[in-house]
Amino acid sequence: MKPGFFNHLLLISHFELKRSFTTRKGLLSLVTFAVVWCVILVYPLRLVAELLLQEKDLMRYFNFFDFIGLGSIQQWHIPEFGVFWHFALLIFTMLSITVAADQTCSDRERGTLRFIVVRSSRDSVFFGRFAGVMVIQALLISATALSTLALVLYRDATLFASALTDLFVITVNLILAVLPFTAMMAALSAKVKSARQATVWAILIWTFLTGIISGFAYYLPVLSFFKFLVPGYQLSDLAQLSGWQTLQLAHVPLLQSFILLALGRWIMARQAL
Amino acid sequence: MRSSIIQCQRLNHVYSGKAALSNVNFELDAGEPIGLVGPNGAGKTTLLSILSGFLRPTSGTVRLFGHPPGAAQLIGKISALPQDARLDPGFTLIEQLVFYARLQGLTKQQAILEANRVLQEVSLKEAVHEKPLVLSHGMAKRVAIAQALIGKPALILLDEPTAGLDPVNVRTVRAIIAEQSSEATFIISSHNLAELDRLCRQILLLENGMMQTEKISINEQQAATRFITLQMGPSPVQEVITKFKGIEGVLQVTNPQKNEFIVEYDPCLQPHMDQQLMRCINTHHWQYRQLSHGKTLEEKLFFKD
Repeated sequence: MKPGFFNHLLLISHFELKRSFTTRKGLLSLVTFAVVWCVILVYPLRLVAELLLQEKDLMRYFNFFDFIGLGSIQQWHIPEFGVFWHFALLIFTMLSITVAADQTCSDRERGTLRFIVVRSSRDSVFFGRFAGVMVIQALLISATALSTLALVLYRDATLFASALTDLFVITVNLILAVLPFTAMMAALSAKVKSARQATVWAILIWTFLTGIISGFAYYLPVLSFFKFLVPGYQLSDLAQLSGWQTLQLAHVPLLQSFILLALGRWIMARQAL
Repeated sequence: MRSSIIQCQRLNHVYSGKAALSNVNFELDAGEPIGLVGPNGAGKTTLLSILSGFLRPTSGTVRLFGHPPGAAQLIGKISALPQDARLDPGFTLIEQLVFYARLQGLTKQQAILEANRVLQEVSLKEAVHEKPLVLSHGMAKRVAIAQALIGKPALILLDEPTAGLDPVNVRTVRAIIAEQSSEATFIISSHNLAELDRLCRQILLLENGMMQTEKISINEQQAATRFITLQMGPSPVQEVITKFKGIEGVLQVTNPQKNEFIVEYDPCLQPHMDQQLMRCINTHHWQYRQLSHGKTLEEKLFFKD
């Protein structure tokens, strides 16, 4: 029996996971990420969380975090997760641009994609690669969230139940946050020749789109609606929220991803392989 | 009963304003390997890319087994050896071939067996756990051919399968095609006319993006006149032509290249022309190297008159 779209999608995304977790290049990237994350966890994250705990009384009168624009950290009843939330929002969205840059471009340039496309549809390849990269990011996000949980439990094991809720909320939110960035890279990767080109274009498009829309919106405020099209548009608002409130903006990345994936699929269908 | 496996109608493809294919029309039936020839830039790779679903034509319709290229119904039915395509350098040969086999619908166990089988076919069994970067050009080409054999497809499109290969590997590839051609129809794009002459019964000629109106058949049994090509040793050209012309049934003798003679004859008047020619050569104590029935493919394609 011939495998259908979802079967191909699973096979292709599974192959992407293999690329990240079993090949030398993939493992090297993972080890690098793990080392960097350990440093972040042990130093800035742990130290800021300790500072928040120790200076709780002092901050009633002078709030350093409000002063630097990170007052919302204190809304999280477990400070480690408050700090993690702010760090992770920035790190994972940036990381997404590099992790997801090479979804199809180098395989297309090498000709490898031809071996795959002759056995599956372009849609399966496009969405399969996207799903694979999303699962890899979800695993990285989960691993970092779990390491933060371990840090919390090391300090106070009684916080387990409430920490578990924070862990879940943050993990879901971060996955949603990287979704449009991954979709944008999927669309770019379907068009450009290399991962580096995809990254450069992502930065250029993101910067100019934000700048142009903001510029026009200054003179004609109704145009600020178009900011909605920019991936990560909601991140600054999202950083101010805590707990379950963070899911209030979930519709933004979902809609952005839908639009970007539709665009990417259209490009992929017309691209010469 | 012969069935049409490929139908192309009014096929056009334009690259940056330049026509790569212009109004190409043809139909091909399943059967013996089919050669696709033409000079560089004639559109051979473009045509094969369109048939494989790698490229969308600018206009026109293409049907393979009644379906458009890239259709789900064609998975496992057609396969391709794209020109210059390389495997993923991060995975071993067996990992990639198993993956391809699984995409074609084989179970994991079947896929492992099939991947090993096709690597065995191309004599690369010992390299199954190697990564593509350590392979020589010839080995990489054979692996690319191996992936095209996965699942025994009915139609195999090969773009320059012997380009850059040494004579031993060329022979291996030719043997693979000859062996598999009873189970699959091959379409082979190549500049190696001698190669196609040996493998193919039918040739498609593309020139400047246009398909020549008639398909060239290598089978001349139905033709009114026939040809014999003679490769001679050093011999007096004029005398050879004169003596050959003197044999009953000979219509024309040409000398297109040094020491090569093409004899056109009427098979009704002289059904055993080869024996008559040999007798004539023997009588005059000339040396000959090779006698073959028919014209060479090069003569047929490019020196028709």
